[in-house]
Amino acid sequence: MRRAAPTILAILAAMLLQVAIAPHLSIGGVVPNLLLLVVVTLALVQGPQAGSSAGFAAGLVFDLLGTGPIGPMALVLAVVGHIAGSLSANLFAEGWLLPLTVVFSASLVAEVSYAVLLTILGEGGPLWTTLWSVSVPSALYNGVLALLLFPWLARFLRRDRPMHTYRRLA
Amino acid sequence: MPLNLPQSERPGGRNALLALLVIASLVLTTVYFREGDDGVLHHARRGVQSVVSPVAAAGEWVTTPFRAIGDWASGLTVSRSEIERLRAQNAELRQRVAELEEARLENERLRDLVGFIEARELDALGARVIGRPTSGWDGVITIDRGTADGVEAGMPVLAPAGLLGQTIEATEHSARVRLITDQRSGVASMIQSTRAEGIVRGSIEGVLNMDFVSRDATVTAGDVVLTSGMGGVYPKGLLVGEVEDVQLQENDLFPRIRVRATARVSGIEEVIVLVGAPPQTDPGDAE
Repeated sequence: MRRAAPTILAILAAMLLQVAIAPHLSIGGVVPNLLLLVVVTLALVQGPQAGSSAGFAAGLVFDLLGTGPIGPMALVLAVVGHIAGSLSANLFAEGWLLPLTVVFSASLVAEVSYAVLLTILGEGGPLWTTLWSVSVPSALYNGVLALLLFPWLARFLRRDRPMHTYRRLA
Repeated sequence: MPLNLPQSERPGGRNALLALLVIASLVLTTVYFREGDDGVLHHARRGVQSVVSPVAAAGEWVTTPFRAIGDWASGLTVSRSEIERLRAQNAELRQRVAELEEARLENERLRDLVGFIEARELDALGARVIGRPTSGWDGVITIDRGTADGVEAGMPVLAPAGLLGQTIEATEHSARVRLITDQRSGVASMIQSTRAEGIVRGSIEGVLNMDFVSRDATVTAGDVVLTSGMGGVYPKGLLVGEVEDVQLQENDLFPRIRVRATARVSGIEEVIVLVGAPPQTDPGDAE
């Protein structure tokens, strides 16, 4: 329960920011996915179970906010949260580069998987165009945002292990 | 000695949870496609829209000064008032030229057709944009008019510069508008000068393409594209955009026509909903 409160708060905050602020951070039509950032950060600091649960919840929120089918992003973020969480036990590095690499890779995997799922469901456009016009730019944008947000988000979500320095985030 | 991990932290338990969530996602997706517009998930989406619309409006309000600063900075090389005046004049002239040309051709053919003039006789309702696309996957905005104002799904939405899209969902005090640039949009259109008809489709990258235009039709860059009125969703003669590029290979069934939308969502704050337009059964499809 002690872990659940910050997690729920973070997802709710991400939802509100995704609606109110993210559209205004759009660059060339590329909108950052703040829900994904929260899921991956949470998975990295709390493990696969929390990652997949939060991923499912955040993905469902993302699906409900959009106009596409409901379920695909919940599926994608549950799996991505699980994988990122599984990596958390193996991240011993005392720096920030490795977690950020994971955030970027997870963003890329999530966006590409979502594009593939939409194509399979007949809801997406041409896959190659989608990858280059949405998936890759979004992953890059999320990676850049992670540089700014990851330390603070990780600090907020990992309250059971207080962190005093930026270098210990991993 | 084996490790005494809690059930939830054991690999088997973690994988079981993941499997459960994957199955739940697949069930949700299946239910979404199986149910109609009155299904549980569609209702849930409308409920979420009702809840987040005020949040989106607050975000719009909060960010307005920052966007104004951004717009100001991007136009530092020319005076702000001059840019605003020219933009307004440009949009007005584009629309005016399209209207006049349309009226002239209609008069020449001695046909009393419905066109843009008739479209203007429809009941129009002003609305404010309170939400913009929340992801790169959706070309959808939110406006502050809903069923309480007579707005329903399937109504055309105009910006000062031309056709913007159509409503796809409405709650009591808000509605979602699918932009014509969205990949799920399709507008029955025609080239103004030659009357060649086709379907203007959006795409994931926000580019408009006009499909199914006859190979024999003469289409050149700069031609004005209007709604054709076919299908009954969009009134005839609404300005959609201008032809930007035309390519026709020897083996192509139809020419590849790229269209530049005249109405762009960035910077648009007010729109007009044609509430008198007939409703559409499936708003996402081409008319």
